[in-house]
Amino acid sequence: MTSTATPAWLLDSEVGLCPCGCIGTRKKANFVDKTIAGSASLLRRAMFADDTSAQPGLLQRVDPRIKVLSLVGLLVVTSLVHHIPVLLAMYLATLPLAVASRLSLRFFVKRVWLFIPIFTGVIVLPAMFSFITHGHIVVPLGHWFGHRVGLTSQGLRSAGLIVIRVATSISLVVLLTLTTPWVELLAALRALRVPRMFVLVTGMAYRYLFHLLDSVTDMYTARKSRMVGRETDVVAGRAFVGASAGAMFGKAHALSEEVYSAMIARGYNGNARTMNRFRLGVQDLVWVTACLAAAVVVLGWDHAIGR
Amino acid sequence: MHIPDGYLSPATCATFYGASVPVWLTAGRRVKKVVRNRYVPLVAIGAAYSFLVMMFNVPIPDGTTAHAVGGVLIAVLLGPWAAVIAVSIALLIQALFFGDGGVLAYGANCFNMAIVMPVVGYAVYRAVSRHVSLTSTRRAVAAGLGGYIGLNIAALCAAVEFGLQPTLFKAADGTPLYAPFHLSQTIPTMALAHLTVAGGVEFMLTAGVIAYLQRANLPIMRINHGAVAETDAELELTRKPGWRWAVVGLGTMIVLTPLGLIAPGGAFGEAAPADLNLHKYGLSAVPSGLRHYAGFWHNAFFSGYDFSNDKHPVVGYLLSAGVGILTIGVAILAIFAAVRVLRSRGPRRPDLVEVPS
Repeated sequence: MTSTATPAWLLDSEVGLCPCGCIGTRKKANFVDKTIAGSASLLRRAMFADDTSAQPGLLQRVDPRIKVLSLVGLLVVTSLVHHIPVLLAMYLATLPLAVASRLSLRFFVKRVWLFIPIFTGVIVLPAMFSFITHGHIVVPLGHWFGHRVGLTSQGLRSAGLIVIRVATSISLVVLLTLTTPWVELLAALRALRVPRMFVLVTGMAYRYLFHLLDSVTDMYTARKSRMVGRETDVVAGRAFVGASAGAMFGKAHALSEEVYSAMIARGYNGNARTMNRFRLGVQDLVWVTACLAAAVVVLGWDHAIGR
Repeated sequence: MHIPDGYLSPATCATFYGASVPVWLTAGRRVKKVVRNRYVPLVAIGAAYSFLVMMFNVPIPDGTTAHAVGGVLIAVLLGPWAAVIAVSIALLIQALFFGDGGVLAYGANCFNMAIVMPVVGYAVYRAVSRHVSLTSTRRAVAAGLGGYIGLNIAALCAAVEFGLQPTLFKAADGTPLYAPFHLSQTIPTMALAHLTVAGGVEFMLTAGVIAYLQRANLPIMRINHGAVAETDAELELTRKPGWRWAVVGLGTMIVLTPLGLIAPGGAFGEAAPADLNLHKYGLSAVPSGLRHYAGFWHNAFFSGYDFSNDKHPVVGYLLSAGVGILTIGVAILAIFAAVRVLRSRGPRRPDLVEVPS
């Protein structure tokens, strides 16, 4: 599959606005702006993934079936590991993989860490304290009704474990999705015996997602173009959201009827067929061996440190 | 509520995959039976719609925005089984493509948002909107209520999944290996967030969309509401008096009447002046107004729910209850009879006459 390069301005998150806010004044975005920005960012991410999966990188060469199986296997290994150093080594190992797959390191780290691992870090912050996770206090913070309080070693380890594990898991999923075209990912699911209907429906849903996204953007852009000043009427805003979501459903249903007629016209009789033209090569064998070796080393190391 | 990978142990993830697979298979069979070949485009576009509903930002009063899940909305529009599949596929696209929600945690996420939420929410919706016409306001409110309750039950499931982790999976020195918070912390936190803001947003979006479709695109409501009467007037023609639930409720209360005999203490604020604990209120005597008006009415039939000066307290209590129920029942029947007489004298509503039966 060849893919045209996405224009650079489309990949900018906010055209003409410096992210630090030093140019112009940044206003709190209202629901209209946020929905338009959300649609644009969805499109941006999809186009970006199209671009990266067409690059001649390491993981792009691996058979998609093998890639899905191996990365899910590594995800399971990640969730079985119980020690921070082992997880950290796994995370660091994803970085050269990203570089070898022609992903910019800066982008890869940013994409993984923004938002979920940082969010996780904030959530687990209270778990470091002896109130929540009992254990040996390593950083005493004084007394509370006669009890010593502070950060416990158990709490710190638990927080570290979860943050690193979340980051490693997301890295693996990002590696899979940014190096595999969506169509091949679906075909790989089919080859792995996921029911044909399910794969067909998922593929269609993804295709029409972008079609319907256009309608959403149109509705909200039309609304924005009629607005003067700031939107302050929350009730009217909510009524608009309800109406636009309702109108969207009408459009979606009309679309599904049209698609159904088109399918019938092309000879659809309730059976779906998928093309299966994958062939395993040497690089797949090497990749599988490497993944298995990594899994054995990681689990062995984790076991050697102790449970 | 999208749980990322790393929060749940592999055993938990496997359990929820195991719990979700039979539901997916049943849902697939049920939907296919109803819509046959139309199944593929309808569910596919339902899934795309479900994905987009999660992108609609709903303004909330503090000037920020939040987004809804929409599981119950899809269930009301397409039926609960189609919703199970549509929301599952939307979650799959989110997990694989946009990294929203984990791949291993996909089973648990589907269980919460694609199975529990639409099924529970739809049950609430059906219960509240029984015997209600397609265009009635109550139907939109029922959908919103379904969304609110469905979302909260889903959040409760997620809280239980998180909360069980530190109990079930910890290292030898007590370090929690996955999500570190206990049930006593996860349930209140999730409940606080979802009973207030997230639940309110879900209510508004679900009710708002249904209200809009009632006004603007009623035929589309027919996908999942084939034979429901369109207006209240049409419904009136087929309606049977809704006595059953009233009778069941009142009957239960009558059966429970003897509870009053075994309940300890007295009702607050109903004690006779003589029984007041004056010391507790810092008083030295019964206030004169209270003393004066407490004895204002002496002619009660069953003074103190009794007629025998406390010789047979149980019999007295039950007899007073029986007479009370009978009196109120007769009064209500009399009011109904009076209303019926007055109605039959007034002009009849034309829309009730012209509908052909």
